Amino acid sequence: MKKQTYQYAESPFNMSRREFITIGGIVIALLALPAVWIRSGIAKRNSYIRARTKGLYTDDTQSKVRVSHGNTAVSKMYTDFAQHPLSEISEELFHTHHYINRRAA
Amino acid sequence: MIVLDKTYQKGEYPGVIAIDPGLCKGCDACRRHCPTGAITGMFGAVHSIDIAECINCGQCLINCPFGAPYETVDPIDMVISKLKDKSIMVVGIIAPAVRVAIGEEFGLPAGKLATKKMYGAMRKAGFEILDNNFAADLTIMEEGTEFIQRARHALFNEESEHGHIGPLPQFTSCCPAWVRFVELYYPVLLPNLSTAKSPQQMAGAVAKTYGAMHVWNKAPVKIFTVGIMPCTAKKFEASRPEFNSAYQYLAKEGKAGASASYPDVDAVLTTRDLSTVLKKMNIDLAHEKETDGGTLLAEYTGAGTIFGNTGGVMEAALRTAHKVLTGEEMKPLEFKKVRGFKGVKAVSVPLMDKKYDKKVTVNVAVVNGLRGNIKPVLDDVVQGRSPYHFIEVMNCPGGCVNGGGQPIQKNGSSWLEAAMPWFAWK
Repeated sequence: MKKQTYQYAESPFNMSRREFITIGGIVIALLALPAVWIRSGIAKRNSYIRARTKGLYTDDTQSKVRVSHGNTAVSKMYTDFAQHPLSEISEELFHTHHYINRRAA
Repeated sequence: MIVLDKTYQKGEYPGVIAIDPGLCKGCDACRRHCPTGAITGMFGAVHSIDIAECINCGQCLINCPFGAPYETVDPIDMVISKLKDKSIMVVGIIAPAVRVAIGEEFGLPAGKLATKKMYGAMRKAGFEILDNNFAADLTIMEEGTEFIQRARHALFNEESEHGHIGPLPQFTSCCPAWVRFVELYYPVLLPNLSTAKSPQQMAGAVAKTYGAMHVWNKAPVKIFTVGIMPCTAKKFEASRPEFNSAYQYLAKEGKAGASASYPDVDAVLTTRDLSTVLKKMNIDLAHEKETDGGTLLAEYTGAGTIFGNTGGVMEAALRTAHKVLTGEEMKPLEFKKVRGFKGVKAVSVPLMDKKYDKKVTVNVAVVNGLRGNIKPVLDDVVQGRSPYHFIEVMNCPGGCVNGGGQPIQKNGSSWLEAAMPWFAWK
């Protein structure tokens, strides 16, 4: 029987240091993607609250009068009807003294 | 339906939110948003709300991924029937935070300011407009004056013409969930709450007295006031039996027009409810004409409109307090330090009190999101070591713009409901 010769050397696989770093970088970036998605998802989650808040501040800056004591309709209400803040009518209609202790029997 | 519970007065809605056991998956999301721990049930088991502890804020409702919590008070059909009754004038009291959120129900982007479209749509539906921002300005006049009175009493021993002067710090009283929270958990601090009613209740009282007599010339009994609120707790607030001051005032003058008492605010619609009303009447808000409010009571200022944001009440109050104390307008008007989403925001404001010619430093704090933020602040006040003079508290994180009655955002944590049809077993 003829004696066989085997070569057990592995097939040559050459990878430079640069290639290794590049491929490794891509793999890690793919692994990190879901984390980025989750984080941006959480950041976006409450964006509507921010948007509504901004909307109201825009309404404020757009207003011609921006202070409550400058509201002419309120001052007219006081001159025609309720006199002034904390007047007798104001106390009766705009204030309450009915806060209650709800644990009291 | 009325089950009287010991933490409710006679006539009040005993809790306005309940959990549908058929929809609850026991995921505990609601528990992580509940400010009082009123939700009971083990993880994985069906949860339920203990109405004795609940302050009706609705945070569980807007944050549930399965849409299990629902409102037990539904005035939609009643309001529509009143709108169709021509003998009755329906007055819509529009809260500030509604105008930047209602558009979401009609396909407009979140935060789109839709005041004029809303006026247009509501007037088409038959509402008269009373902008609650008008009442917010009125609140600042009343609550701000009250604060100056309390501060001058504490600092300079000034006495009032009539009535008792409350202690400092003064808490705001606009948020009905917060008021009920104090009534339930810190009754010792009740004297510190501002006696000023919330804008909604002031608006109701104005509509049926001044509005009836001077603006609309209508009998008060023919006026049906509807609060349009970003809030579920407002439904509870309007049902509080003491809030019939318009009736009491008119009865004294002999002008009440009815022998039975009527409330200042007859019904409350949340932002979601109003969009349902408009949709049932085939009105598409997004494509409505832009109109004005039409009455004197729809006039409002920038200070009134920021009430819907956390820090807004404080900022508006400081603008007016600055004018009253120093005689000059605040410059700049924006007070950025009370803005933003931090749980507790504290600022010191140096002011000159012209009347006494003395410098005073006003320490203010703004709390939003009761859960996790309020306890240290209140414990300091109870123990008498709180540095603050004026504290604004809003139950919901971010203020009323994130209230329990606002449109539910699927990109919030309620996204699961939208994703469910994709699964075969659903």
